[in-house]
Amino acid sequence: MPKMPAPADAIADWRPTPAMAARLAAWAAGTEGSSRSSALIRIGLAMLFWSRWAGELLLYRDQSPAGLFLAANFFLATALLFVGYHSRLAAVWTGSVGLAMYYYFGFELGREPWTHHHTYLLAVAALLIALTPCGRSYSLDRYLAVTRAERAGVPPPAERGNLWGLRLIVVQLSVLYFFAAFDKSNHAFLSGARLEQIFLWFYAGSDYPSGLAWPATIVSVAVVALEYCLAFGLPFRATRRYLVLPGLTFHAIIYVTLPVYTFSATMALLYIAYFDADAVDKVIARLQGIGSAAPAGGEIS
Amino acid sequence: MAIAGFMITGPAAEQVFRVQSPWLRSWTMFSAIGVGVVDASFEIRGPDGALVPLDRFEMFGAPRNGRLKWIQNREDLASVIKRLCTVAGQGADIRVRARLGTRGGWQAIHTDAENACAG
Repeated sequence: MPKMPAPADAIADWRPTPAMAARLAAWAAGTEGSSRSSALIRIGLAMLFWSRWAGELLLYRDQSPAGLFLAANFFLATALLFVGYHSRLAAVWTGSVGLAMYYYFGFELGREPWTHHHTYLLAVAALLIALTPCGRSYSLDRYLAVTRAERAGVPPPAERGNLWGLRLIVVQLSVLYFFAAFDKSNHAFLSGARLEQIFLWFYAGSDYPSGLAWPATIVSVAVVALEYCLAFGLPFRATRRYLVLPGLTFHAIIYVTLPVYTFSATMALLYIAYFDADAVDKVIARLQGIGSAAPAGGEIS
Repeated sequence: MAIAGFMITGPAAEQVFRVQSPWLRSWTMFSAIGVGVVDASFEIRGPDGALVPLDRFEMFGAPRNGRLKWIQNREDLASVIKRLCTVAGQGADIRVRARLGTRGGWQAIHTDAENACAG
């Protein structure tokens, strides 16, 4: 009678099937699609950078050489990102400015709340959008490309490109949700105690409101469960349809109840990366009555 | 793969292996907010011997949305108790239940077993 393998042998023998690995690789790095969803994220990120820091970085605010240098870089990089001139370079520039704010001005010089997660997320999102064809739609780059094509008497370049940057945004969001849930997977949070403390901190002061205990516990468990679901469910079409609305509602509630700055808005914007780029393109085309850059067949999913 | 690896190893290093570095981004949102908050309730013994809730705002004539709304720490709590006892007068019996917000949950810092004004 053959001997059953020990668990360790079973793990050692486990291999992803070549078909699965090929599908994953194709999804991650080999997908071409419409550039319009990447462009929407590019424009949204520029606006989020402005809404978060434009006021703080006005030239009169910090007139030190470092402050003026930062402000000049910030406004130039984000303006280029917004209008889409040398879009991918502008995205790298904007992301680098964000990381300089986070690491140097935040951690080194102690400027707060620049070390917070919303700063890092915006900076990283800008760097990741640089890996997408974000300049091929809704941009000055696109206008110039079409103009050049018209002059040359050739069709305008396709609004398409490799979408691996969007895949990395999906990975980033799932990692974020997973570790946010992991951080809360303890008795202190799940009992409701941490949520009660946060409620007292921002709202109630040192007077515990009667009837808070049960709602705090229920909401705490729901938040952790939702974050795990968002981490593992949003990347897949079958589960995404049930999670997008709860995810956006979750961020909307956080946005209006806690000082998360641009975090919720950034997350909501980056949700575009979860959707099939060609399907997003088709929705845009349908809404605007314009031609689609996507081949036929895609549905919003 | 390298970028995805960095995204995962950063929070894993800090949140699983407890490696602290500004170069690694953990995703521990609001993990420090609420830590240090004090939840306090006060009771005073009435002439009939029964303990009744004590409203510190009313006692001090202070606005409910003012500085007194948040008792910041143990020292602040001790100060509030001292002031309450002073306003209540000699021989007052004030009971205080208070707990401190910590990362591990609530930690009791004052029980109502004894008169806070005694001693």
